[in-house]
Amino acid sequence: MNFDGTFEIDDVTAEEVWLALSDPYMIKTALPGCEFLVRVDEDDVDFERLRAENGDKDPPILPEARPKEVADRAFVEGATYATLIELSVGSVKPSFESEVTITERNFPRMSASGEGSAASSSFEMSAWMDLEETENGVVVEWAAEADVFGRIAQLGSRMINPVANRIVNQFFDSVADRLKEVGDADEQQTGENLRNRVRELF
Amino acid sequence: MTSQPDASGRIFGSSVKRREDPALLTGEAEFTDDKLPDAAHVAILRSQFAHADLKEIDTSEAENRDGVIDVFTGEDIEASGIPNNIPTAWMLPGLVTPQYRLMATDKVRHAGDAIAAVVAKDRYVAHEALDDIDVSYERLDAVTEPAKAVGADPTVHEEAEDNVAFDFDIGDSDAVDDAFAAADHVSSVELEQPRIIPNPVEPRAAAASYDPGSDELTVWMTSQNPHLHRMLMSTATLGHPEHKLQIVAPEVGGGFGKKIYHYPDEAITAWCAKQLERDVKWQATRSEDYVTGNHGRDHVTEAELAVDDDGTIRGMRVETHAGLGAHLLQFATATPSYLYATILSSEYDIGAIHCRVIGAFTNTAPVDAYRGAGRAEGIYVTERLLNVAAKDLGMDQTELRRANLIDPDQFPYETGVGMVYDSGEYERAMDRALEIVEYENLRDRQADLREKDRYLGIGVANFVESAGLSPSKAAGELGSKAGGWEAGVVRFHPSGKVAVYCGTADQGQGHRTTLAQVAAEELGVPIDDIEVIEGNTDKVPQGMGTYGSRSAPVGGGAVATSAQKVVEKARTIAAHQLEADEADIEFEDGEFQVKGAPQRSIRIQDVAMQAYLGHDIPDEMEPGLEATSYYDPENFTFPFGTHVAVVEVDPDTGEVEIQQYVAVDDCGEQINPMIVEGQIHGGIAQGIGAALFESAEYDDGGNLVTGSMNDYALPRANDLPEYETDSTVTPSPHNPLGVKGVGESATIGATPAVVNAVVDALEPFDVDHLDMPLTNETIWSAVTTEGGS
Repeated sequence: MNFDGTFEIDDVTAEEVWLALSDPYMIKTALPGCEFLVRVDEDDVDFERLRAENGDKDPPILPEARPKEVADRAFVEGATYATLIELSVGSVKPSFESEVTITERNFPRMSASGEGSAASSSFEMSAWMDLEETENGVVVEWAAEADVFGRIAQLGSRMINPVANRIVNQFFDSVADRLKEVGDADEQQTGENLRNRVRELF
Repeated sequence: MTSQPDASGRIFGSSVKRREDPALLTGEAEFTDDKLPDAAHVAILRSQFAHADLKEIDTSEAENRDGVIDVFTGEDIEASGIPNNIPTAWMLPGLVTPQYRLMATDKVRHAGDAIAAVVAKDRYVAHEALDDIDVSYERLDAVTEPAKAVGADPTVHEEAEDNVAFDFDIGDSDAVDDAFAAADHVSSVELEQPRIIPNPVEPRAAAASYDPGSDELTVWMTSQNPHLHRMLMSTATLGHPEHKLQIVAPEVGGGFGKKIYHYPDEAITAWCAKQLERDVKWQATRSEDYVTGNHGRDHVTEAELAVDDDGTIRGMRVETHAGLGAHLLQFATATPSYLYATILSSEYDIGAIHCRVIGAFTNTAPVDAYRGAGRAEGIYVTERLLNVAAKDLGMDQTELRRANLIDPDQFPYETGVGMVYDSGEYERAMDRALEIVEYENLRDRQADLREKDRYLGIGVANFVESAGLSPSKAAGELGSKAGGWEAGVVRFHPSGKVAVYCGTADQGQGHRTTLAQVAAEELGVPIDDIEVIEGNTDKVPQGMGTYGSRSAPVGGGAVATSAQKVVEKARTIAAHQLEADEADIEFEDGEFQVKGAPQRSIRIQDVAMQAYLGHDIPDEMEPGLEATSYYDPENFTFPFGTHVAVVEVDPDTGEVEIQQYVAVDDCGEQINPMIVEGQIHGGIAQGIGAALFESAEYDDGGNLVTGSMNDYALPRANDLPEYETDSTVTPSPHNPLGVKGVGESATIGATPAVVNAVVDALEPFDVDHLDMPLTNETIWSAVTTEGGS
């Protein structure tokens, strides 16, 4: 199955979007059903343990987080991340134990591949995104290729496409909301000059 | 309910009301899932991948779930030491026959292979516990299409590296080459026949009970052939002694081929009952049945016809890749070979025919017989090819057909593919169909409408079906591992009531009505005094079951033969009691009379009482009045007919409206015309379904993406037209009843009739052929890309 799309975020810079989408905690917060997303080095990932350790961990993300802090914990090319995502597809609610490797991270392009499995279903995917700055803000162009197996696959694209669209839209809406606050925080001159501090990181 | 003959006064041939229906309509009828209400429930974990190595199966969490009684894997089954190998029942030269275990242990080959079974007190708990089982797989690439599977990676079975299970051919290829060289013209078509999912209203089910004291195992199941299931479970999978294994098929809600086969699930259920020494049952969900039960068709074909300018057909050449799925079911090899290639002559004097069929393993649900099995695929090829040729020659479809029909005086007619047709008056049925539909007027109307940019299409299809499966010796010579006879017992009770036992197994056909009509006719006993017993291996001595349009010709033949034997014994007793010479005893309407002395008579029911008293019967004669027959047909029977579909196609939307549908069928003598008509109606519906709606679709990963009725398109009532049916009667000369069978005929005729009609409608758009299903999108795309007029 192939999915792709573009998403426009107004009044932001490419650097801000890049930083936001590089932050595992931003992804965790914005992605519906995501219980944790953490870097792992081991081959045999214990998802139960990771959930116990990380399920409640919610450090500040942009705009509250300090940009330097976010940059320090950003995705690393070649590193693997474990995530637990609960989906709701029709009557099926699988919890996918997934491992995703960042295969490329080179501003403004990032790509990843991974796989996940639940009790009755599994997937294998690869995805990329690219940022382009426009007059009004930033356009995120993205695409994903996924092979789905098991019970979910039997529901067919009739069920999967709407779910995928819902998740993607919620995700980008949520990221856009956070980034809008980055701009707002800037305009209101509250605290530090966030926009400049993000830019300085590049 | 009383059943009376119609105005003819003859019970055989009367539209007697079905005695099955009151129980079915009032909900009194008991299906498999109604049995053993207190049994534990089995749920079966299916592979989520179409192809994978199985690494580890961890069942501990499922075992600890509240309400779970036990969890079993393929290793548990192996460890129990049973034979554990589902066999195919038809051998072909060079056939590869990989082992087919009840549960996978090292490798899964389609998304549906059983991996583990949970037994729980509650059905829902059993299903929920499946999610607790942790399976580690190493996924492999899958192959799902037969033509692409051959010679390609991945390999479904190590034993067949190129995925070829068999490479079959029939006919005289040299004679075909000569015919093609000599003919004025060659027409050809490449076509695909998509996978069809059989959809009986009741998905498969099994309930099993084991008595450790007596070692008796009873399995109620959705079976079209309980004795075949008993034999296979006994000898090939469970290894339970045949004399201590009882298979019961209670009411069965449709089959269409799906319930012929021995699948793992029913045997797993029986194995669990034995293992746990308690009653268990399994009921497939609709989606589970979609991924595990057989599919039908799945052919990719190239066909050529050598024909002269005047329409004389000289020869035919066919090459087909047939998908078999991941495992060979019992008729998987026969369906695309001997049931397919041998019918390619249809109603025509084609002469030289050659057909090659390559059977390919794929990572999909198994493919085997679906209503019309093989014959439907074969007739579709010939009847499509004829329309392509007619267009090439500038002849009307009816003209080309008529020019090549086998004449009545050519019977018995031996085809170029080894069949000997028993009897036929093909032109009579074809004329009748064309007369009802007013063919010539339709052609005029079609021309008028085209002027107004409206597109009417008229599709004609003739067909012959090889029915009455099957003469045992011939089938044996061709590779069958089973006989084709049928067993029938006719037993008078002392009171004059009659029990008829037959090895066929009803799934909705109405055997309890029709076989009673056969016995009533022969015995002269009121039909209400006759009970028909089927579907129980402890009651019926032996049997081959119901499929291949065999119950009336072969089952009916067995019952009629036994009834005749009973009448002969009764005649001897009557002669003895009436003190007359046996040659002078006449039998009519249930009464034995001395010729010329009608006052000296005795009713057959009274003879029955005398037979059981044994006080006054001939010396040397045993008491009792019953007979058993193993009727082995001399040949197949060959029903035939002509179907005509009239459609209007909207090129802007691709919609097809079936405006008229005429079916003229000849199934020889009809035991019950109402039931015959019902078979025709249902058959047309399924034939139209294949033509316009149905296709089982797999994605590249081997997932069945049409895995439920939401996604698999079955025709609904408003998609189907009124049917105009009629029949001609050409008795089978070798069948005791003159019947030919009718279960599959209409499915075979309807599909090519409808496709021919749609292609005919699209003639102005230069469309020569379209592959099924002819969805709106298929038609719209064809019209759009051809450019249209």
